[in-house]
Amino acid sequence: MNVLNFDSKQCERIRRHLDAYLSNELLVETTTEVLRHLESCDACSRELEARTHVREALRRAAESQVPPEALRQSIHRQLRKMQPGFWGGFLDRGWVLALTAAVVVVLGFAATQQWIRVRRGRRIVASVLALGVSDHLQCAIKGHNYPDVAKSPEQLRQQLGPQYAGLLEVVQQKLPGFEVLEAHICSVQGSPRKYVHFITRGRGTILSVILTRREGEQLPNGRGSTSGVSGTVNLYEGHLDGMNAAGFESKEYWGFVVSDLPQATTMQIATELAPPLTAALDAGTRSQALESPDRGPFAHRPAQRTRSSQKTS
Amino acid sequence: MLEMNLFFHPKVRVEDFEAAAMPHFFDLFRTARLLAQDSAEAEDLVQEVYLQAWKSFHRFEMGTNCRAWLFKILFHRLHHFRRRWVKAAKEEAFESPEEQASVAAETPVPQEIRDRDVLNALEKVPVQFREVVLLADVQDFSYKEIAETMKLPLGTVMSRLSRGRKLLRQELAAIAVSYGITPPGKQSAKGESA
Repeated sequence: MNVLNFDSKQCERIRRHLDAYLSNELLVETTTEVLRHLESCDACSRELEARTHVREALRRAAESQVPPEALRQSIHRQLRKMQPGFWGGFLDRGWVLALTAAVVVVLGFAATQQWIRVRRGRRIVASVLALGVSDHLQCAIKGHNYPDVAKSPEQLRQQLGPQYAGLLEVVQQKLPGFEVLEAHICSVQGSPRKYVHFITRGRGTILSVILTRREGEQLPNGRGSTSGVSGTVNLYEGHLDGMNAAGFESKEYWGFVVSDLPQATTMQIATELAPPLTAALDAGTRSQALESPDRGPFAHRPAQRTRSSQKTS
Repeated sequence: MLEMNLFFHPKVRVEDFEAAAMPHFFDLFRTARLLAQDSAEAEDLVQEVYLQAWKSFHRFEMGTNCRAWLFKILFHRLHHFRRRWVKAAKEEAFESPEEQASVAAETPVPQEIRDRDVLNALEKVPVQFREVVLLADVQDFSYKEIAETMKLPLGTVMSRLSRGRKLLRQELAAIAVSYGITPPGKQSAKGESA
């Protein structure tokens, strides 16, 4: 130590760097300067020793703080508890909430789609059943195109023609308590559509059984649209213009039972009629007996709704 | 939500986490104990640090500085739950940016000083200085690491360190004097004036 070289300002500057020197945070040049000064300054060397001593004392004191072993065990247990198993993460509350939200959205979407499907189906059913109701009202009720005394079965079969004569027996058998007053092929004014029309009387009212080609159109097949099943035939029901209608379909025809009888009665009658009529119509379709050379038995018939036109067949 | 993250990272094993994180258990506890109010608070803190670290372990890059990561979480928890730290942070005026290192002002600390004396002295150092002193002089973090851990500018870290170390030495010297262990810096003054 060179006491003669003692410079308090230099010492002050060096001491400002001592802690950084101990922490090895000084630049190389500053470290060299500190070391050079320490070689020649006993006071600063003692100060460095003192600070080193404080640091060691502090480290020792800190190390005297020993954590309880129970804490380590507790952490270990909790970590094991939190480790996700296959379902562990799945059952996380946030995950469950997200999943629930997704399910609600999907179910909501599905419910909305189903609701739209049902509404659309009901609209289609109503529009198809409206054909039968309209035919019944126009021909039987407003047109009164039936005699007071029932025509003979031979006459009716002749009016129906060979294509549909066989259906008369089915209608008579499946409509106990009803008398077939009239059976003919009827045309709709202003439309190429025609229909086979059985006008019956029973239970104090007039009931129509109507068959018409569906030209490829189809009634919806699903819950909310159908009202029942008879055998393998779906049944549809509707109430239009004061009339109750029940409908069904074969491969190429729609069938309607229309009357002002209660809906349940109308449906019951349709339940009895639909399977044998559908079978008869399908059998006729398969044998081509019902088909005319052009587009079927109705294509060449005049498009007008008159009693005379009915008899052309 | 964090458990959900682990669900999507099923390959993260608690054994791996423990192997990386548990070696720092003592260091974390010591630091927490010297900064918390009492031992119970320190234990809660350390436990929270480990559980929090485990929950976000899937984001931790193996091979990087796990110790610094754990200390960062420790200080985040400390600052989050203890509002007094916020208050302390505002007391920057207490820090003297231009500390004058007076040659005569430094009081020597006796060799005989006990751990309890050191801990008592440390407790008297305001917490914002104490925490950087602990990180630098006990845990051997570099100034830069401390700045990153504490989310402080490097200059602030250096300033607090300088102030904290000086306060600690003063407290130690005062304790030593009160115990009659050493005369109040007479020897040092004498040596320096020689």
